[in-house]
Amino acid sequence: MVKMTDVATISFRQVTRKRLRFFLTVLGIAIGVAAVVGVVSLGEGVRSLSVEMIKDQSDLTLLEVNADIRDGVTIPITGQKIADIQRDPGVVGAVPARRITYATERQTFLSAVDAGSAGMQSVFSLTYLDGRSVETGTGEAVFGYDLAETLRRYEGIRIGDRFTLLVRDYDEDGRPADIRHEFLLTGVLRERGDELDRLMITDTGNKDEPFDAVFVRVVSPDVVFPVVDRVEGLGLSAHGAFEQIRAVNKLFDIIVLVLSGFTGISLVIGALMIMNTMIISVFERTREIGISMAIGASSGDILRLILSECFIIGIAGGIIGNLLGIVFAGVINSVGRNVVIAELGAGFSGFAGADIVLVTPGVIISGMAIAIVLSLISGIYPALKASRLHPADAIRSL
Amino acid sequence: MAAIVRTENLQKVFGRHVHALDGISIIVEEGEYVTVTGRSGSGKSTLMNIIGCLDQPTGGTVEIAGQNVDYSDPEQLVSLRRSKIGFIFQQFSLIPSMTAAENIEYPLIFSGVPGSERKRRTMDMLELVGILDRSDHLPGELSGGQQQRVAISRALVAGPNLVLADEPTGNLDSTTSNEIITLLKQINEEMGTTFLIVTHEPSIWFGTDRTIHLSDGKVVP
Repeated sequence: MVKMTDVATISFRQVTRKRLRFFLTVLGIAIGVAAVVGVVSLGEGVRSLSVEMIKDQSDLTLLEVNADIRDGVTIPITGQKIADIQRDPGVVGAVPARRITYATERQTFLSAVDAGSAGMQSVFSLTYLDGRSVETGTGEAVFGYDLAETLRRYEGIRIGDRFTLLVRDYDEDGRPADIRHEFLLTGVLRERGDELDRLMITDTGNKDEPFDAVFVRVVSPDVVFPVVDRVEGLGLSAHGAFEQIRAVNKLFDIIVLVLSGFTGISLVIGALMIMNTMIISVFERTREIGISMAIGASSGDILRLILSECFIIGIAGGIIGNLLGIVFAGVINSVGRNVVIAELGAGFSGFAGADIVLVTPGVIISGMAIAIVLSLISGIYPALKASRLHPADAIRSL
Repeated sequence: MAAIVRTENLQKVFGRHVHALDGISIIVEEGEYVTVTGRSGSGKSTLMNIIGCLDQPTGGTVEIAGQNVDYSDPEQLVSLRRSKIGFIFQQFSLIPSMTAAENIEYPLIFSGVPGSERKRRTMDMLELVGILDRSDHLPGELSGGQQQRVAISRALVAGPNLVLADEPTGNLDSTTSNEIITLLKQINEEMGTTFLIVTHEPSIWFGTDRTIHLSDGKVVP
């Protein structure tokens, strides 16, 4: 059995014997690797930029958990599940809530959330433009900024005013029989730029009606996805800004896959070049291989030597390919960024200061692995051909 | 003396009708210096290839250093080639990308001999054949005679019982041929290595213990 270091030395000597041929063969696989590395880096770069933009522009740590319907069965939000969510290590605060739609007597519709005020405070960190928060079970209400503005203007409702809201219901004969609720407006929230601006918040203290939502505040953006997974594990559905990230990731998975599929064609060509080179090389060395067998090389030794040559081509191709890929990515970054910004407009100005390519260690390692594996696969046929040479015939050939 | 090679009714048929070997039975004793002669196509090279475990006979048996050769067992064939048999071919049998020293070392790599031991034995060989100062030269930088000296060293470096040489002086001028022949004979006498040499050249016959003449695949008595 030949030692691996000896195999490597001999193979290295062999492949570098014809330097130009070696270089061109390596370049073939290297260009393929470079194309894949460049394209995947671009995909990963744009993906990560998009995700960063979503993170900047939205409140990623806020989730709304709802009851889910699976296989036609509604999975309700039970007290046990609320407790599970509240105990989750990634959750700062979680407050169960009911969503109710009211209408004013002048038929202005508004959405309200009925939830414990302490819990709401912990999840939403409410700050008041005016007035104070509601007290539990008192029929008090707080308006979001936009809602307060609308109702003040069209209904004349101000802090300290009592007002009536209707919930549409029907009597036994199917005729509308609205239920009237009296509220006292105690406060108006500061403008937040989210859904709360258009909501009314109450705290009825009702323990009998089931909850249809849980608002959850997560510790940090990094733990959002694990928390979502655990919530979904409870049979509930979760909604929030993270869904945009999820959608972007799914989209880019497909884009990167399709693009690397196209660039992969150049890898196939590179692999065919290696196979071609090795077949020629084995043919040229037929007599040499025969002599090696005569002086003690087994078929296995010959197989290992030829595959080892392919391995060396693969390593060289991987290194050069990765270097070319990084250069390629750099070019895309400097040239392509301006094009992207010009084409997509100001909405994507987040691209201006950032890199649109992202060369990750994973991409580099994959590039290396692809080059080596493809080279070895390409070498199987020539190596088998060499190892199965008949020594006496091989020595006769010149 | 023990027989190093014993063949019994050796047959080699190519295709259906070409009888390259037709019932060869020979014995080569340990330490002998034997030449094999015959016209082109008489079966010399075929006989050498079969004795050298590079080709298999279609009939008959071969015994090398007391071992019956099983031609269907690649491991035994490889092991015999590694440890019992050395080959010297015509010129141009060296690996062009390896220096003289590396060519000599090459068989030892396959036998798994450690690096330091390989170096020592290679140097001994270079000294024996008188080209120590050429150890770092590539075959292309050596004369024909020097190349054959390297080839001889490569055949001997693993310490084989039997060296098979197929036209070792083919392509060499007569002065160089004589030097190579003298060297082979000297090695035979000093080291006791058995030689079986295929040749056209009458000069090699001098000093041989015995000459086997082949004609149409048979030994001429």
